[in-house]
Amino acid sequence: MNISTELRQIGVIARLELRRAFLSKRSFWVYLLALFPAVIFFGHAIEVKVRQDRWSREGTVQPAVLDRLNRGMTYNEVIKAAGTPIRDFEWERRRRDEDDTVRMRHVLLFDGRRRSDLTFRNDLLESVHTRPLASLDEDRQVFAGVFQFFFLRVAVFFGCLGIFLNLFRGEMLDKTLHFWLLAPARREVLLLGKYLSGLVASSLIFVLGTVLCFAALLWANDPVEVQQYMNTAAGHELFRYLLATVLGCVGYGSVFLAAGLLVRNPIVPIVIVLFWESIIGFLPQMLQKLSVLYYLQSVCPVSAPVEEGTPALVRLLLSPAAPSSVWVAVLGLLGLTALVLYAASRVVRKIEIDYATD
Amino acid sequence: MTAPEIIFDDVSKFYGDVLGVNRVTLHIPPGITSLVGPNGSGKTTLMNLMVGIIRADRGALTVRGISPDHPEQLMRIVGYATQYDAAPRGMTGLEFVSMALMLHGFTQAEATRRAWAALDRVSLTDAAKRKVGAYSKGMRQRARLAQALAHDPDVLVLDEPLNGLDPLVRAETIAAFREYADQGRHVILSSHVLQEVDVFSDQVILIANGAIMAEGQIRSVREEMHEHPSQFILHCRDAARVASMLIGDAHVSEVKILDDGAGLLVMTRRRDDLAAALSRIAIAGIEIDGVIPADENVDALYEYLIGGGR
Repeated sequence: MNISTELRQIGVIARLELRRAFLSKRSFWVYLLALFPAVIFFGHAIEVKVRQDRWSREGTVQPAVLDRLNRGMTYNEVIKAAGTPIRDFEWERRRRDEDDTVRMRHVLLFDGRRRSDLTFRNDLLESVHTRPLASLDEDRQVFAGVFQFFFLRVAVFFGCLGIFLNLFRGEMLDKTLHFWLLAPARREVLLLGKYLSGLVASSLIFVLGTVLCFAALLWANDPVEVQQYMNTAAGHELFRYLLATVLGCVGYGSVFLAAGLLVRNPIVPIVIVLFWESIIGFLPQMLQKLSVLYYLQSVCPVSAPVEEGTPALVRLLLSPAAPSSVWVAVLGLLGLTALVLYAASRVVRKIEIDYATD
Repeated sequence: MTAPEIIFDDVSKFYGDVLGVNRVTLHIPPGITSLVGPNGSGKTTLMNLMVGIIRADRGALTVRGISPDHPEQLMRIVGYATQYDAAPRGMTGLEFVSMALMLHGFTQAEATRRAWAALDRVSLTDAAKRKVGAYSKGMRQRARLAQALAHDPDVLVLDEPLNGLDPLVRAETIAAFREYADQGRHVILSSHVLQEVDVFSDQVILIANGAIMAEGQIRSVREEMHEHPSQFILHCRDAARVASMLIGDAHVSEVKILDDGAGLLVMTRRRDDLAAALSRIAIAGIEIDGVIPADENVDALYEYLIGGGR
């Protein structure tokens, strides 16, 4: 049998499997996982847009006015310069150690892009906190955190588990694996066809999730700032996120495909891989290279934010991998995947129909 | 040149501690070969071993010279209609057959054409575009049969292929098997409808508890069973007289006059001696209307060999 026949068989197997990977009931929660961050980011963007729209209608101040606000100004001076505020709330405060009652006031001003929260004490401006309604830098940090801590470690991990673990195990449970084993194809061809279908399905689903999330991130922010970002780092960062997404599917896909061939109880591979991926920070550098996460973290363009004061142990759990260059990471992950798939091909050669025991 | 055979050479298969088949050695020539045995006897195990969806723990087997370790070669010449009832989710009957053909390397157009032809052979064209999951048991059976036949294999392996088929389709299917076998191909099937197997099989393999009890043409298998007397029904007008002439012969172990008095059942250990005795009776002027073997069917063999449990 020649290579072109085998390639065609891989294509046929992948095509047949794709429909199932995309449309089966088992895939439903994979979509939920993939699209959940996008829903959150779009929710955030909509909130920003609604607030911006409402506040703009209620009255904006000149940006220069916000820049001129200083502590010590009186309430009347501020109102005279800024006009009617969007929010003006007054209350009285009395502390145990103070004899007199203090009159406090919170005033919110908006210049169309930035919001300024002013706090008055007895009509004197005590503090000014001015910040953009939406901050691209801040949102990028949040995106980096969500991408690394949720998207890669939870969504892609469990999504790939759902898709790839079932490529063989699901067929065994459905009692349909014989359909494939009776095809005039080498078992390795069957393995590759199924892997390819899982890879295409998971990559498309999670790439869609990443792109939607990124679009929501941009939509929420100031167009000028976004344009500037688009002209500089946006393309590069989006490419690296997409690369990490696809590589996540490549790596976790191979691991769970192999796991589906080896074990009947899915809890076992989940626990083992999750445990392994969690503890790699504590392992020697050599063993870290046997983790998918090790490579994925190196591909991510923005470091995930870890708050100051976070204990070293937790910091190591959150961000364990030693940085390596992107292309070393890509090649490393592909090498690891090839190794896992080779091991899986050894197993699939000996796979037998054993429906009765499942 | 010798005919291509299916060869089992000392093959054993265990499912954990449970015996599947034990030390099976077989040479199956082309033609219709029926595997007969009770549930759990090892028929499906033998078929699954033949196509490589389970592996032998010991021994070796080849199908027309090809080892099951090479499914890419073997499944080009083998069509297997399994007893497994499920088809991949969401597939129509037409897709079920045509997708399998595409895995054989046929173009989509050719696969579709062949799939329609195969479905037509099993009278399933009307339901071709319905989901297999919505088929009745008999229709699913026919769909599997169509899939097994579609690529025109040299070896047809069919696990209980006549289950669930209506009489007309059943007759057509048996005729198709005969046609296949007459072209020098293998048709290996298992069945619980023993009378049917008896009628159309070229040879039977009787299996019980994972071991081959007998193999060969039904008559020759029967002849090898010296420990069990052969049974014949003699149709004659004067049954009592014929019985009295036979009962004294050493080779005759039992004679029974039939309830209607129109004949008798004779059990003999030596067929040739019975033939000589019948000649003697005829010369004596007693007319024998017919001699019919009463136990050259699979049921009888089965009962003798396996001990009554069909």
